[in-house]
Amino acid sequence: MTQHRRNALKSTNEDTCGPYFPIYFEDESLEDLTSIHPGVIGGASGQHIILRGRVLDRHGDLANGVVMEFWQANAKGIYRTPRTAGHPDIDPWFFGYGRLRSASGEYSFRTILPGAADGRAPNITVTLFSDGISRIVTQVFFADQPGNNRDPLLLELDDVDRARLMARPDGRTVDGAEVYRLDIVMAGENETPFFDDFVS
Amino acid sequence: MTKLGRQIGIGPTDNTSDQRTPRKRLRLIPAAARESFVPCVPARVLTRQNEWDMTRISPDLTRGDGVPIEVTGTVRTESGRPLRNTLLEIWNANHYGRYRHIEDHSGLKLDEHFLGMGRVVTDDDGNYRFWTISPGAYLARPDIGRWRPKHIHLSVSGGSARLITQMYFPDEPNNVTDPMAILMGDAFERNIGKTYDTPGIDVEKGFRFDVVVGGRNATFFE
Repeated sequence: MTQHRRNALKSTNEDTCGPYFPIYFEDESLEDLTSIHPGVIGGASGQHIILRGRVLDRHGDLANGVVMEFWQANAKGIYRTPRTAGHPDIDPWFFGYGRLRSASGEYSFRTILPGAADGRAPNITVTLFSDGISRIVTQVFFADQPGNNRDPLLLELDDVDRARLMARPDGRTVDGAEVYRLDIVMAGENETPFFDDFVS
Repeated sequence: MTKLGRQIGIGPTDNTSDQRTPRKRLRLIPAAARESFVPCVPARVLTRQNEWDMTRISPDLTRGDGVPIEVTGTVRTESGRPLRNTLLEIWNANHYGRYRHIEDHSGLKLDEHFLGMGRVVTDDDGNYRFWTISPGAYLARPDIGRWRPKHIHLSVSGGSARLITQMYFPDEPNNVTDPMAILMGDAFERNIGKTYDTPGIDVEKGFRFDVVVGGRNATFFE
């Protein structure tokens, strides 16, 4: 993939979404990727999970009003993009994009445990939009997945940072979904590693 | 050894920015993981009939207080490709600086005839158009007298394009003290709408705001 930089237009600056991202724009189908709609038979294939936790600021306080977006592969490790159109392992009931706004800063996202994409361990890309920042992005992994010790992104991190991206089962199951917990720390002590998706 | 990328700046006098901005530099993403960072947002057409015209709650009702304006523009990638069928979610304060969001406890005046939230989808040429009431500035830091300048929030999503930004207004004195504007530096100029006259249209003035979605996201699937 080459980017043609000649005659490139200058990009519009990202800005903060501020504290009042409209709850009015909420879409339940983006907060629960396991089901199409309560009135519809069927849904995505795979193991239901709930990824849950707190988004914290540098004082350990909840990041109220945070907007979170999620991006992941389906249970067979295939992402749904123009490049994978027609792939036999596409799940017709699963896109892999989710979004929620948390008033409190505590989040809960129901989805399918992603399969391992080629050469990767199972993961979910998590983007935070919030008052005070424009956008930060990281990737969340799942404890005890065999591929974790070979994942190219995790291999770039030291043990401490690796642990900060590892969601762990907390022993609960809710409506057939195993609960995984991970707190995301935006700044300060125990800061979650965030990644530069513009430059890299 | 992790390779390091940008350091995100902290907005001056912005307490929330101080609380929430990562202090460590962003890590570079290894080549093998790059594709996994580019989401592809499925097409969503969630707009109700009147959502492009935010000057009134519905076509049969009175307009909100203040100055009705038009905002138009083209959404493109850095290489100039128009982004068609791209969703813009829009929100702005009313004429008095108040949002109808349940968490806005500023006490500024609510306008019975203004909602302040709308959605439009770009056409086949990447063009969009919406009407709204020109938002009021509001006192963000009463303790130091800093006002948020007039601004309209826009969230752009479609395919791999993803951007949240704000349109600001020309010749507004509050622009210069805004923390995000300060961080943008010379590049802030690109976030200011460009005025045009609107004879024959039922708004007082227009602002052109072209959006260019940059970075790898917009061009990844070209």
